[in-house]
Amino acid sequence: MRELFPRKLVMGFVFSLVLTIAALTVYFLDMSYAAGLTVLLATALTQAAVQLIGFMHVGESEDKVPIYLNIYYGIAIALVTIFGTLLILIWDM
Amino acid sequence: MKVDNSLPLEYSTHQNKMNIFGFWVFIGAEVMLFATLFATYFTLENRIGNGPSGAEIFEITPVLIETFLLLTSSFTIGLGVHAMRLGRKNAMITFFAITLLLGLSFLGVEIYEFIHYANVGAGLQVSAFTAILLTTLGTHGAHVTVGLFWGLFIIMQVKKRGLTPATANKSFIFSLYWHFLDVVWIFIFSFIYLKGMM
Repeated sequence: MRELFPRKLVMGFVFSLVLTIAALTVYFLDMSYAAGLTVLLATALTQAAVQLIGFMHVGESEDKVPIYLNIYYGIAIALVTIFGTLLILIWDM
Repeated sequence: MKVDNSLPLEYSTHQNKMNIFGFWVFIGAEVMLFATLFATYFTLENRIGNGPSGAEIFEITPVLIETFLLLTSSFTIGLGVHAMRLGRKNAMITFFAITLLLGLSFLGVEIYEFIHYANVGAGLQVSAFTAILLTTLGTHGAHVTVGLFWGLFIIMQVKKRGLTPATANKSFIFSLYWHFLDVVWIFIFSFIYLKGMM
């Protein structure tokens, strides 16, 4: 039974619960918009990394370089899309 | 078919490796899809017209339940893949089944949430904000729904054919999809709900 619950996965799960609770502080505590957004960015990005490396087995196979490149490319396009939109339509630059 | 026994079953043939890589390319495209939805959401979130704002309609309890259900399901499918690598077919099927039940519960809570929004006057056509909110949540929910059927068929195949390079590969790829849905939910939870209620 024990072998079915590897340490790495259990720790990943516990860590993701802790990160969720950390993110919840922005709801329960009274903090400024900037501080709240910083907390959310930190917890969300760490949480995504836990999923990718801990659960999705990135970097285990021999074709990890193309897989990482593909992830970076997807993230780069996502950031350009989101921040490009914000720059033009919200921040009015 | 050349089978490399030094690798886990899901990577053991050339075709298997290509399938997994191909699925990562698909996930890259999904990242871009959700990025456009988030970009639109951030643009329109304050255009509420005569409708309610996010802070007025979001409820913390169902959102928290959804978050914990999806996080736990991401963990149980991780355990499922681990059991698969140990060759424990029945344990794997059990973990996959638990994952799908958690996913189904998630969907149930999300449907409750959508009914709640409709009841408090936040339907799809009320304002630019409600339109993009429901489109973003709905796109994620549609992915979960597809995942439920996909996972069910995977379980049926593994039950019928056992753990072969082909079924192990399909199961692994399904686990990638499920973890990805959890990643998307983390961003929805953080930057739509918590940011909206902050």
